[in-house]
Order: sequence, then C-alpha cells, then structure tokens
Amino acid sequence: MEEQNPNKEVQKSFRGLYRNVKISVKTLDKIIIGGIAAIVVLVLFGVANNGYTVTFDSNGGTDVPSQELMYGDLVAQPEPPSREGYEFAGWYSDENCIYPWDMETNQVSRSMTLYAAWVPEE
Amino acid sequence: MEKNQESVLLRMEGIVKEFPGVKALDGVNLTVRAGTVHALMGENGAGKSTLMKCLFGVYKKDAGKIFLNGQEVNFKNSKEALENGVAMVHQELNQALKRNVMDNMWLGRFPMVAKGIPLTSEKKMYDATMEVFDQLGIKVNPRTVMSTMPVSQRQMVEIAKAVSYNSKIIVFDEPTSSLTEVEVEHLFRIINMLRDRGCGIIYISHKMEEILRISDDITIMRDGQWIATKPAKDLTMDEIIRLMVGRELTNRYPHKDNVVGEELLRVEGLTAMYSHIRDVSFTARKGEVLGIAGLDASGRTEVLENIFGVATRKSGKIFLNGKQVRNRNAKESINNGFALLTEERRANGIFGILNIRENTVISSLKSYLNGPLLSNKKMSDATEWSIEAMHIKTPSQYTQIRSLSGGNQQKVILGRWLKTEPTVLLLDEPTRGIDVGAKYEIYQLILNLAKQGKTVIMVSSEMPELLGVCDRILVMSGGRLAGEVDARNTSQEEIMTLAAKFA
Amino acid sequence: MTKLKANKPSKIDELKAMTPKDRKRAIGDLLMNNAMFIIIAIAVVGIYIAEPTFLSLPSIVNIINLTAAKLPIALGVGGCIILAGTDISAGRVVGLSACIAAGLQLTTNKLFPGLQVMPVPVAILAVLAVGACVGFVNGFFMAKFKLHPFIVTLSTQLIVYGIILIFMQLGTNSGQTLSGMSEGYRNFVTGELFKVGNTTVPRYVLYSAIIAVVVWVIWNKTTFGKNMYAVGSNEDAANVSGVNVTKTIIMVFILAGMLYGLTGFMDAARIASVNANTGLNYESDAIAACVIGGISFVGGIGKVSGAIIGVLLLQVIFVGLNYLSVDPNLLYIVKGMIILVACSIDMRKYLVRK
Repeated sequence: MEEQNPNKEVQKSFRGLYRNVKISVKTLDKIIIGGIAAIVVLVLFGVANNGYTVTFDSNGGTDVPSQELMYGDLVAQPEPPSREGYEFAGWYSDENCIYPWDMETNQVSRSMTLYAAWVPEE
Repeated sequence: MEKNQESVLLRMEGIVKEFPGVKALDGVNLTVRAGTVHALMGENGAGKSTLMKCLFGVYKKDAGKIFLNGQEVNFKNSKEALENGVAMVHQELNQALKRNVMDNMWLGRFPMVAKGIPLTSEKKMYDATMEVFDQLGIKVNPRTVMSTMPVSQRQMVEIAKAVSYNSKIIVFDEPTSSLTEVEVEHLFRIINMLRDRGCGIIYISHKMEEILRISDDITIMRDGQWIATKPAKDLTMDEIIRLMVGRELTNRYPHKDNVVGEELLRVEGLTAMYSHIRDVSFTARKGEVLGIAGLDASGRTEVLENIFGVATRKSGKIFLNGKQVRNRNAKESINNGFALLTEERRANGIFGILNIRENTVISSLKSYLNGPLLSNKKMSDATEWSIEAMHIKTPSQYTQIRSLSGGNQQKVILGRWLKTEPTVLLLDEPTRGIDVGAKYEIYQLILNLAKQGKTVIMVSSEMPELLGVCDRILVMSGGRLAGEVDARNTSQEEIMTLAAKFA
Repeated sequence: MTKLKANKPSKIDELKAMTPKDRKRAIGDLLMNNAMFIIIAIAVVGIYIAEPTFLSLPSIVNIINLTAAKLPIALGVGGCIILAGTDISAGRVVGLSACIAAGLQLTTNKLFPGLQVMPVPVAILAVLAVGACVGFVNGFFMAKFKLHPFIVTLSTQLIVYGIILIFMQLGTNSGQTLSGMSEGYRNFVTGELFKVGNTTVPRYVLYSAIIAVVVWVIWNKTTFGKNMYAVGSNEDAANVSGVNVTKTIIMVFILAGMLYGLTGFMDAARIASVNANTGLNYESDAIAACVIGGISFVGGIGKVSGAIIGVLLLQVIFVGLNYLSVDPNLLYIVKGMIILVACSIDMRKYLVRK
C-alpha cells in the first residue's frame, strides 16, 4: 500500500545530479580546498615550466629543429629545409598550406606546428 | 431520491485497484453532493490516497465507474481532471520550490500578454494572483520564492491554486497537518466559502474534531474497502473510530508491562548544523519507550538523524551509560549500539530486489564470518531466528522483500537492526503505511524490546500510537524541545498545545 | 548575482546579530561558496602582475570576443542543466554545424563539387535544422524513456561524430580540413562591427548579444521557459499542474541544439578552417562556465546572466594562462578540475540550503 509521506517534500528537493548525495559539509570543504590547492599547484607548475613549442613539419624535406618560445614571441627564421626536386615555398600554419605564417609579424600564442610548402622544380 | 440525484457532483462506483499482491481498493463507493463537504476517513493504508489517485488518473483503476455531473469520466492525467473542474490540494506539497508564488499558481496555464503573442504577462499573473489571494484573505507577496516561505504559507498557496481553477470538486488531502490553529480557522472559512458557492469538497484528514466540525457527509474506508457513508451529524467520534478500526479502541495497543530502569542515554544541547534543531536535551532510561511527537517539520526525524550521526551536529553531547559517545557516522553509531529505522522505508530501508536473508544480514555481516568467508549456515540461522521472533509471514528466506506487505517488510528491517545487537533503537515512524493488524504486532515487538532492557525512541505523527505505546513523550516544536509529558496522564490536547509552542 | 546584492544589507545585519562562532561559520560559508570567484580574482591579479599587457585594451576586447563566441553553446547547455540534466553532445553538434556551414560556403567546393556558394540565410537555416534534429533525439530519449542525460547525449555525441567523419569524406574532400569560405559569409560573421582603439570588434559579438537577449526572453517571459524552470525544480509538481513535461524537455533540448548550431555557424567563419575535430570539448567549457555562473545541477536554478559571467570568467582565466605561456595540455587537467571543484561548491550551497 502506498501511503504518502508528508515529509516527502523535503526529499523532493534532493533532486538533480546530487540526488543521493550524502556527504557532510566538513568533508566537502576539505575536498573543495584540496581541489583548489591542486589547481593552484598545477597552474604554478605550468607557469614555472611555461613556453610553447613550435615544431616544423618539413613535409618530406630535411629536418628543422623545434623552437621553445613564449607568448607573443616571434618565431626565429630557421635554416630553410631542402628537398630533392622541390623548391621551398615558405612556412604555413595549416597542413594544406593555405595560411602562410609570417615570421616578421605573427606572434606565437600556442604550441603549434608549421608546415613547409614545396613547389616542384622546373 | 431523484431530486437528490441532481445535486450529485461526483459519483465513484465500485472502484477496484490491485497492486501485485495487494488489493488496494475493493469496490469503493463515494458520492459527493454539490455544496457539501464530504470527509473521507480511514487509517493510514485504508486506501484514501489510492482512491484519489484513481480519480485523478495517476493510477489506472481496474474496475468501477466515475461519474462527474452524471457523465462518465475517465481522466488520464491530472491536467484533464483540472480542465474538467476537479482539483486537489496535495498532502505532499507538489511545488516548484525554487520558483516564486505566482509562477507556481499559474504553472501549466500562464496568462499571455495578448492572444497570439507567445510572451507571458507578469502583470496579469500578479493581478490574478492578488485577486485570488484577496478573495481568500491570504497575505503573501506573489513574488516571494517558495522555498523561503514557511510550510503553512506554501500550503495556503496550494489551496489558492486549487481555488483559482474554478473547480467544482476540490480535494483536500490532510490540509491541516502543517497549519497552526489560526491558519486552520482561516482554511475553514475558505472551505465554507467554497461550499456556499456550490462546490463539492472532499476532505481527507485524520483529525476527528475537524471532520465533525466541517463535514456534512462522512465516508469511512478500512483496508481498501468501503465501510459506510453517513451524515456527519449522525456520527460520534467513538463511532467513527469503531468503523475505521473495525474493533474496539482498547484493543489497539498491547498491554504495557515493560519496567523502566536507570538512565541509559543522555543527550545534552543537541544542535544541528544544517537543520533547525536547536538545543535539544533529554534522557532515556533502560527498558523505556520514549516517544517524540510534534508537527511535520518540527524536527522529530532530524533529532534521530543527529543522534545517529547521519546528519551533521553543530554542537551537543551524547552520553551512553554515562560515557560520552561521538556517533560521527552511522558505522560508529552502530558500533556504539545504536540502530536507526528510517522513515522512508522504500527509499532508504529495504533492498527491494534482494531476498529476506540478504536484507536481514546486511548490517551485521561481520558476525557471520567463517574465516574470511561468510557462512551460509550462520546467515540462514540468523534469518530463521528473525522470521520466527518477528512473526514475519513469508514463503521462505529467499523471497524478494518487495513482494512482502509493508508490515512484514518493516519487521524484516527491525530484525536486521536487532542482529546488530543495539542497546538504543531509534525508530522513525515505525508503523507508517502498515495495516492495522500488523501495527499491533510492531507495538508488541517494541514493548518486547523494552522488556529486554533496551531503550526505544520512536517518532510518530500518530498521537494515539504514542499515547498507547510510550512511557514518556517528548514534544518537538520548530526544532526545539517544547516539553516532555508522561504518556499515562496526558492528552492529545496537551501535546498539541506544546507542539504549537514554537511553530 | 543581482539577488546576492539585494540580500547583502540583511546579511551584514545577520552577521552582526550572530555569536562569534556563528559569525565565523557564516563568513566561512560565504568564502567557500564564492571560492571560485575569489580564486579567479586572485589569478587575474597575479597574471596582471606577471604580464601587464593582459589587462590592456586589445586583450580585454579579445576576451570579450572569445566570450561572445562561446556564449550560445553555454546558454544551450545551461538550459539542459536547469532541467537537472546535461548535454555532452554539444561540442560535436557545434562541429557538425560548423562543417555544414563551411560546406555550404566554400568557394571551391570539394564536398559538393559544382555547388555554388549558398546565401548566408540558407546556411543559418541548415545549422538550426541540424541542431534541432539532434536536440530532438536527445530530448525524446530523455523525456520518453527517462534515460540518464549522460547516456543519451553520450550516444548522440558518437552518432554525430560519425556523421561528421562521413560528411568530411563527401565528394573529393576525403576528410581534409575545409577552408576558403566565401568572403560574404566570413564578412557576415567576422566583419567589423566597430573599432575600440585599434582592435576590431567583430559582428558576431552583436549576434551573440542578440542571442543572449532572445534566450533571456524565452527563459523568463514565455510559458515554455517558465515550464522549463518548473520541470527542473520539481517534475511532479509540473506534471500535476498540467504541464506537458515530455514536450518541455524535448523543447529545451531542441532549443539547445539550435544554439549549438549557431555556435558552429559562427565558429566556422571565426576560425576560418574546419575539420572533424572542430568543436571538440566545447561542451566541457560550456558546462564549466554554467556551473561557475551558478546554473546549478540541482535543477531549476540559473540565469542567463550567470551563463555570461561563467563564460567570461572562464575565458579570462584561460586567456590569462595563455599569456603566461602555460602548456595547453596542462590546461585540460586544470579545466577538468575546475569543473569538479565548481560542482563541489555548487553542491555545498545546496547542502547548506537543506
């Protein structure tokens, strides 16, 4: 027999994803503070080991060493790679070599890969 | 008779509803005339709520017919019922607590700025709410968020909502359980007003005085059956009780022969962190059955939860046999000899799909270890003991607990806690949703436990039960201890007065 | 947020009236509940000291632009969270819409060889339709079968990803990045709205603002919006009051899907190159933003302003860390932990409310 419970409305508010939460606030406080501490430590670690890596994909040409740079830095013009039967046509920021990367003005804001574009030699 | 027929608003005939294993309703009749208040009475589990759920289409009835204004109706959901002028003030306040009053009032039928414009009009909503409130004399700001209001005000909003549908039939399900005396008077004025308008009111309540005061007709149900429908003026309180219980009142409680010994438990200044419990102090003695009474939301349950450590205490000390115990969580409390039988049996008491044996041994698994493994024999012996001692009616130990009746489920859980060998049993509404016969057996078990020298603390919303079983009764009000009475020489009135002290 | 301000005077009075112990607890509660804001404020100051250009005008405009770009998806996810649900298919839907928008706007179309550049409104309608379809599937399975929103949206996320991969294989494209979209489209989205100093504020900031206003009206001024809050707050109450709960849930997810579609539409033009991984993990940003902004997993609580604040704060912190050249791989971990902590704080507020 289903008899209703007048106090049920108290239970009703126990909805959503926290439906069955049974945790004391003290414990929760510890978890929150612990979590925040962990985030702070991570971020500090990240700041201490900061810098972005710019790697160069020479698309079949000779290897070009990657560079460690900071936010807002310019990529230093590397030694141009060479490839048999092709002529080097600059660095691009996308695989399909549509958007050229201008070493003079484009600032680094993330770790990324630059792709070498090649045109067949005549 | 023909003449009378015309003023009949609602007629329910031979309603039958079966749940697996239980016949919840068995040929129930109910006839409500226009301009009358019809009280529906019966013990918990008599089937009043189920009957109403059949009316509103929450449950599908298995047999029987419902006529509204002479037309057969069969509501599929409450929306349909509302549209046909049948509204209900729910016992469990069904409200969106995070929304404000008027959002709740007009939920499902928000007024629009204008026809064809899909925007709701706050102004219209506000005005309409105020209109209903003025009519009913309710003083609540329609922009108040529900969760910030006391339960009694929320109740009033719920009533206003039902009225605002211009319903012909309004069902009040235990409307006064959270209201103070002044508010009850207010409610009765509203009900009388509705009656004068020609509405038919179905009034469900346990409170005899109220029923005799307000109602014109009374229908009494017992164990899912229709017992009688009589004009209220032909009935007395004793008569109603006799009809409801089906036997004399004197037999409802077993003979009390427990002997109260020395002090076992002392609680000092119990204050909860996240509920309104403040500064509750009391003692309980060996072999004593201590009752906790109070209105809903007075903090009865929370006191038990705080003692047992499932709710966080802010301050307060608990002494067992003069030694302080900390009871920081359930496990620690169980080790200290406490046991808590929770109120919401289905929600946090039973493991429905597990069998009786698994439900019995779950809290005391350590005692069935045979080396690193659980001994089947030990567990089966313990369950056998439990079934015998508790008089559990079951085909076998391997029956799923959910197929048992409420009373037998409760006995299994009681048995589970006894296996942890507690010295203090905290029982929260131990007889809720249990049929009358089984209640008697639970009372018997409680008294037997007291006789074995255990301390039983039980919370109940049924005052006669507390008066019949307990030695002393603590009365809670608004989270504080309002007083303590001796169960032998007190009355329901005294307890009610105390219960309203801080409410 | 406005509510917090309104309560402030009474809160101070309350504090004064308390015993020292209670006062300490109340202040503790206040600090813990706003821990996220405090930490972000400290972080902003820290980053500013290390890298003063962080709070220069161009940088601030940049942060606002990024906020505008991520706002629609956050509003969509926010609606789902108000329903006490969530949506982890959001990012993929953004990706799919971006692919479709780009596919209709390529000057040399490898996906549909020979297809002319379509008018911009066609692309908008297309992304809205696609978003609405996925939203309908999400909402339908949640409302009808009462499946957990995580399971439903996890499934649709996979399905949508599959569709993206197949879409990218169409014609002669064979999965390559889509770029070279029509000038009209790019200009429609990223064209100059006005200039602040030397920094351009693109048009999509305006679109995003319009979307925010429309969503605000839907949430607060329409029956549907009010029903959404009611269903999130107490589904039974809504049902008993005659609200069509199923329809409401489905509609919320459809609205969310359409917002993802618009995010994708703007993103394709904003980033100018679209591949199968566009939109990856956007949902985690959106969920984090919503939770930080006070849209609670309890259900029924949350405001448009909260979502805006959440997205803004999240962008501030990540642009800031970007200025400090922090390894982006590390930022994923930070993001995940921020969601967990924000949820814990959200949970704490709700526990105290009990």
